[in-house]
Amino acid sequence: MNSFVERFSSGSDLLSTHRKGLLAGEPELAGRWDAADEYAMPQFDLPHCADPIAFLQRQTDDSLAEDCRIKIQHGTTTLAFKFAEGIIVAVDSRATAGAYISTQSVKKVIEINPYLLGTMAGGAADCSYWERELGRRCRLYQLRNKERISVAAASKILSNIVYSYKGMGLSMGTMITGWDKSGPGLFYVDSDGTRLKGSIFSVGSGSTFAYGVMDSGYDYDMSVADAIELGRRSIYHATHRDAYSGGVVNVYHVKQEGWEFKGRTDVTDLHYEYQDQAKSMHVPAYTLH
Amino acid sequence: MSSKLAGGFSFDNHVRNAALQQKGLTLPKAVKTGTTIAGVIFKDGIVLGADTRATEGPIVADKNCEKIHYLAPNMYCCGAGTAADTEFTTALIASQLELHRLTTGRESRAVTAMTMLKQMLFKYQGHIGAALVLGGYDCTGPQLFTIYPHGSTDKLPYVTMGSGSLAAMAVFEAGWKRDMERQEAIDLVRAAIESGIFNDLGSGSNVDICVIEKGKHEMLRNYARPNERGQKERSYRFARGTTDVLQTSVRSLVTVVEGDQMDTSS
Amino acid sequence: MEYATQHRATEQAIQHRFDPYADNGGTILAIAGEDFCVVAGDTRQSEGYSINSRYAPKVFKMKNNVVLANSGFHADGVTLTKRLNQRIEWYRHAHEKDMSAPAFAQMLATTLYGRRFFPYYSFCIVGRGMVYGYDPVGSYERYQCRAAGSAQNLVQPFLDSQITLNGQKDAQPTPLSLADVLCIVKDAFTSATERDIYTGDYIELHIITREGVETQLHPLKKD
Repeated sequence: MNSFVERFSSGSDLLSTHRKGLLAGEPELAGRWDAADEYAMPQFDLPHCADPIAFLQRQTDDSLAEDCRIKIQHGTTTLAFKFAEGIIVAVDSRATAGAYISTQSVKKVIEINPYLLGTMAGGAADCSYWERELGRRCRLYQLRNKERISVAAASKILSNIVYSYKGMGLSMGTMITGWDKSGPGLFYVDSDGTRLKGSIFSVGSGSTFAYGVMDSGYDYDMSVADAIELGRRSIYHATHRDAYSGGVVNVYHVKQEGWEFKGRTDVTDLHYEYQDQAKSMHVPAYTLH
Repeated sequence: MSSKLAGGFSFDNHVRNAALQQKGLTLPKAVKTGTTIAGVIFKDGIVLGADTRATEGPIVADKNCEKIHYLAPNMYCCGAGTAADTEFTTALIASQLELHRLTTGRESRAVTAMTMLKQMLFKYQGHIGAALVLGGYDCTGPQLFTIYPHGSTDKLPYVTMGSGSLAAMAVFEAGWKRDMERQEAIDLVRAAIESGIFNDLGSGSNVDICVIEKGKHEMLRNYARPNERGQKERSYRFARGTTDVLQTSVRSLVTVVEGDQMDTSS
Repeated sequence: MEYATQHRATEQAIQHRFDPYADNGGTILAIAGEDFCVVAGDTRQSEGYSINSRYAPKVFKMKNNVVLANSGFHADGVTLTKRLNQRIEWYRHAHEKDMSAPAFAQMLATTLYGRRFFPYYSFCIVGRGMVYGYDPVGSYERYQCRAAGSAQNLVQPFLDSQITLNGQKDAQPTPLSLADVLCIVKDAFTSATERDIYTGDYIELHIITREGVETQLHPLKKD
């Protein structure tokens, strides 16, 4: 009880000692707010055992451990491509925990700020937590430098963060997109530490299916409407073949003025819509011999 | 493989399944009767009791299954463990006992059944997951045995088996007396099984009782039903047309000409 | 795999590895209505084939009138609840107001993620006006209805069919009254009790309205 009172009382030398006594990961109380402290790397509790990483893997990785109890939600098909009029980002919305579909309504596009988008594949919590953290860093950058952060720099911040946790079991495959001084930017960042600049990416267990459709229908000079349709169709085909993808397709268009949400479509509705259409607008019709 | 029909188990897929399992494939789970079964000897005979829940892991597979199996007219057997194993093992021994009676012209003895069961279970080294409580009345009087999956046996005046055995035995230890009356014994077994039903998650639903006395037996199926399902608050009937119809195709009926006969020659 | 014939502890080989978790079973669910919210959980706490307690609540009214339900490892759930309540208290002292539901929802997510490398074995559902559902490391989302725990895969499809009316042609989701929702919640639990061995004993319901939080206790089967 005394320490509680002291924590709120004045006296800065007391504060630092008490701060150390706080539980890890617990931000300091208001009234004693310190920006440097607040934006330092968060701390994480580790289990007190010989090999914490093996412990975590045993408890959470359902692909390795048979009896894993803590099933973490995983996300799945995402894509983004550059074209003449910006960038299209399209994602599905299914999250699975083991074989169970835990939700069909995840927002896998993370709106970092009005000019930056991130996508979610791999561990849902890893992506949403770190991209939220990235949002804070980007805002801090903007306040310090009086200008918006570039997509390259933003993606590098994320890549540096996850690299510092390499081997600890983070799982994320993400695309950072946005518009900066140099124009549209698209980067792939994953938890292994990979960071790639590119113009077409697809990430997740359904990515191969999405690539197939996207590559065959891609044209740099296509119209915005066609580009949106290509993104949507690519995700739809991935959800059709990949059991870990499904739900709805969310599409975003990144432009010079920032990103714009281009709507959500249920893949079941898309299925019947495409079924009724004349066969394939993008894929060449192959003849069987 | 020889074309000759051989009895017993087939191990054809054993190596394949072991290989699949090593690759991480989980084999289908057998239904277990995570059970409470019990028996007591009373003044004039035997009372056997069982709960009626069968489980598949955490899921209740059957809410009212029968765990007291027939062995002979003067002998019944409660089974715990893998449901299929208890059913087939008791059926197999019942058939052998029947043949034995036809050969000898005498009533089966409980020890005979017990010996046959333990020899079979021992032979399979515990791979047949049957844990049994055998009760019978023969020329030597009331007999009560337990048989474990590996083939060991016990001969006791009051016994319990299954995952609820501790709960049931607690009741027996508190309430058992020598030379009880029939109704007293039934009440005690019922209390023991109910203790298993309520305190052991592997056991549940109702109490089955079987009373075996000299020259007669009585099967009291669902002797107690302490777990009736309550009335549902709402009706969950779906309106007609709730399921979307994607395609309709109507086939004309096949006409069977009178007098056609099924070909049974081969 | 084991025979349900002997007591568990004697059968399993003692394994010398760090295993700080247990599965205490139980089911929780929450449904958001127009101007109310119901958060419910059964009160059975078990381990293996044994019942530890027939009345061990896993749905808690927090200090800011948010209701938090958690299933999984009971000790982790209790610890989590305690720490969250503490931070709600600190927040009130610092800001002289109660923490809002969305703020609480985000705080729970970061608290769970703070244990990313040593997770709380706890599946959380938060209710107050809206419902939020979580995974053990803090991925969260708003839902209309959500079930978690040992009978999740029995209850969630039922809620999907009755509340969100998934895949039902021409079905218009009409706003459900509190009475309807309570019926659905009770039926969800009585049915889950029939088929899930870890669910039973009592349902504890928390009904959150503008007036406050009302708690009800209803019996379930005890086998």
